[in-house]
Amino acid sequence: MGPLIPNGVIPTEWNFVIAILIGIAFGFTLEASGFSSSRKIAGVFYGYDFAVLKVFFTAALVSMIGIYYMDYFELVNVEQLFVLPTYTWSAIIGGVIMGFGFVLGGFCPGTTLCAAAIGKIDGMATMVGIFIGIFLFSEFYDFIEPLFDGSYLGRITITDSLGISPYWFIFLFTVFAVIAFYFADVIRKRVKKVFY
Amino acid sequence: MSNTYKIKKVVVKTEYKVLAAILIILAGGLVLLPKYEKNSGIKPESFLLNIMSTERYVTTDQIANKMINQDPNLLLIDVRKKEDFDKFSLPNAVNIPLAKVLSSDSEAYLNQDTYDVVLYSNDNCYADQAWQLCNRMGYKHIYVLKGGLNEWFNTIINPQEPKITDSDLAFKDYNFRKAAAMYFGVGNKTNTAPKVKPKRVIKLAKKKKKVAEGGC
Repeated sequence: MGPLIPNGVIPTEWNFVIAILIGIAFGFTLEASGFSSSRKIAGVFYGYDFAVLKVFFTAALVSMIGIYYMDYFELVNVEQLFVLPTYTWSAIIGGVIMGFGFVLGGFCPGTTLCAAAIGKIDGMATMVGIFIGIFLFSEFYDFIEPLFDGSYLGRITITDSLGISPYWFIFLFTVFAVIAFYFADVIRKRVKKVFY
Repeated sequence: MSNTYKIKKVVVKTEYKVLAAILIILAGGLVLLPKYEKNSGIKPESFLLNIMSTERYVTTDQIANKMINQDPNLLLIDVRKKEDFDKFSLPNAVNIPLAKVLSSDSEAYLNQDTYDVVLYSNDNCYADQAWQLCNRMGYKHIYVLKGGLNEWFNTIINPQEPKITDSDLAFKDYNFRKAAAMYFGVGNKTNTAPKVKPKRVIKLAKKKKKVAEGGC
């Protein structure tokens, strides 16, 4: 049956309407869980707050397990789902730049917009930074292009490259995540508390 | 520390443990579930219903009518072997032998939304088999010429004159068929070969497998 839009269960025209609704819900949830504070994200790096790690790990687990159960009962066809293509070096370098941005600004792109929306000045500053980054990237595109398009691996997934059954991977990943949650708590208790 | 705070703390702690346990159990369930081969294409029940339905059949008269009117949506596909196709076939037909129906070259002809595809063979047996394969794959707009080329020959090329007691409709059909036969070159006594139309070139774009686009 699913995915609903590519299989024509929901007409394509609804694509953007649904995207806006999901986007609003996403932004609301980010703000409601306090993610529009830059200290929350920075807390992961300093070790006083692991909410971000827990939230995103849990989201990944729930969707992963949910999608594979739905695939098992033929509600969704996993093979039809969108897989972002992998460009090894641009992913690594882009990841490093983004990581620096995370620590420096204390925002990920989504939370930047949330923070700007509730009137935080650092959020707005980060947003300006994002646009400067986009501008620089576009201006230097010719120069960066070989790196950007190079080492293309296609739409691979981790189970393809490891040759492991997705079900086993999900199970091991879940166990790993729960252990990570536990140790995150242990670390958090040892680090001096920061109130914000 | 007040007592209620302590209780709250315990509840929250156990809640986390329960949630973690639920996640691990669900993930473990995925590993333990019995695996099975998934059907590709449509469901067996709807396939059976489709086979029993006679909606797929078109008559030779309908096809002749469409060919004479040069219906641009008509795409005739001959599913007999190549030798038979070379000897005789309907004008402007494409040859896809039954064995090659599922090959990737034929997919562009069969899995599309532009044409009404009519399959035929000598009778409708092979065409039916080809239709079943296509239907199973979920291809749309595929029809079968009822009676195949034999029926074509008996009705269009060499129509039987109806009896005098037959209905008006039978005579109408007969007149249409005789005219159609002339269109297809029967009774062409002048020694010129019937005009051979240039082979129709059909531009086909392979249907891309739809993948949801998107990103972060």
